[in-house]
Amino acid sequence: MLQLSGVCKTYGPESGGYIALKNIDVTIADGEFFCLLGPSGCGKSTLLNIMAGFEPASVGSITFNNDPIVGAGRDRMMFFQDAGSALLPWLTVEENMRFALRVRRIPKASWPDVIDKYLTAVDLAQHRDKFPAQLSGGMRQRLQIARALAVEPKVLLMDEPFAALDALTRRRMHATLLDIWQKTGKTIVFVTHDIGEALTLADNIAVMSVGPESKIMQLFRLDLPRPRDLADPDLRNTAANIEALLAPEIDRSEARIA
Amino acid sequence: MTSTEIKRAPTLIPGVYQTRIASIWRKHRSLGLTVLSLLLGFAGWQLLSTFVFSPFLVPPPVRVIKTAIPMILSGEIFRDAIISLSRVFVGFVAGSITAILLGVILGRISTLHDLVDPVVELLRYLSPTAMIPIAVIWFGIGEMSKYFLIFWGTFFIMLVNTTAGVLRTPLARQRAAQCLGASQLEIFAYIVVPSAVPYIITGMRVAMASAFMSIIPAEILAADSGIGYLLQNSSMLLQTDRIFVALLTISVLGFLCDRALRLIVDLTLKRFTVPA
Repeated sequence: MLQLSGVCKTYGPESGGYIALKNIDVTIADGEFFCLLGPSGCGKSTLLNIMAGFEPASVGSITFNNDPIVGAGRDRMMFFQDAGSALLPWLTVEENMRFALRVRRIPKASWPDVIDKYLTAVDLAQHRDKFPAQLSGGMRQRLQIARALAVEPKVLLMDEPFAALDALTRRRMHATLLDIWQKTGKTIVFVTHDIGEALTLADNIAVMSVGPESKIMQLFRLDLPRPRDLADPDLRNTAANIEALLAPEIDRSEARIA
Repeated sequence: MTSTEIKRAPTLIPGVYQTRIASIWRKHRSLGLTVLSLLLGFAGWQLLSTFVFSPFLVPPPVRVIKTAIPMILSGEIFRDAIISLSRVFVGFVAGSITAILLGVILGRISTLHDLVDPVVELLRYLSPTAMIPIAVIWFGIGEMSKYFLIFWGTFFIMLVNTTAGVLRTPLARQRAAQCLGASQLEIFAYIVVPSAVPYIITGMRVAMASAFMSIIPAEILAADSGIGYLLQNSSMLLQTDRIFVALLTISVLGFLCDRALRLIVDLTLKRFTVPA
């Protein structure tokens, strides 16, 4: 269980600095698919980085299974939007997998099986000798998924992972991710600014306000089976509610610029 | 006329001979243009030095070649070239290795970087030529002063490039490795250093050109051998044709060294230069 209570994040001096996040309380159960949804500049990536341990919170407590989070941990794997940066471009698909297993100190004897298993799961087994630059954007993200799963983390933290992909590829990635999630039972925290994406994937959607002093405005729970049809009246209703919640937020952030 | 009918553009049917010429040209276009460029350059040079400039001040290419042949046959030009090349090589390799080692450390330890950077920023504007007088006093006119000057010309270029490469390692790559369980040492060795390789290679190519530009003044002012010495000596004797042979030699050597460097990089480090 990933638990945040009273989390604040201030950049710059303690008083008078930029308050990015204010009083965030979240509880994410094991095996849950949790979406952080909000427009640009709402601090959702900051919140995810705090969960990963890349950045400390200024105030508040963050625990994973009741242990406080200090720094990056092996149980929480971050997944990045830019696969080109996150992967090692000088290693082939298989070598990228091996790198993960080596730094994870996984016994060498089990490497071939683990690599086969996860590359097959994301449909990349026949591309193991290619370099990331030779793959399409969707394939690179699937390699990132395979690499993340190979080290068997408990939580996947995903920062707008599919935002750079075309719409068709993105839909296929949603299906792949849901399939893997249902099979492995990982906890997933998924950051997005796309309402449709959140509704397609999540058990719970936390809608965030724009900064400064971003907070979670409302939590939406979706108890619908997957695959979901966005034309479903329930989902359309929820989408309208989220949109009504966010519209004034976007106006507010634009007014701040003017 | 139905809408599915395809209009054909009138096609020319050129002779077999023309087609063959065209296909040969397409295949070897870049080589052909390179040869043409050199031929035109030499022709222009020949014409200018025959009709515009005094052939004594600008010796025409035919005379330069005539002068070059005995220098090549006697091995004289190779002796000087090898001496200059070995000076460039020693200074360049020593400067590169030292700068890469220091650069990766400075790129990782920001306090040390901020401490060293102001001094580097001042020193790197001192060209090797500016350092010749003091180098001669420190090391004499032997090999050591030339090694030092080439080292000086290589070191700062390589240091700035290596540090920049290390600093620009994508944060996502380091954080992903951190999540996978990599230690700081592993992140440094497996992520940061390889990520800096493209910058280091660019630095080496720039530094190589700098080394070639530095060796000549060093040899002109303080040496009794090498291409720079040949230039200086020929100038004193007003042998303009020999000066031109020396100048051509420098151009060709520089070009060949850059190609050799690129070839070595392609053979050994190619996978690190693929864009992400």
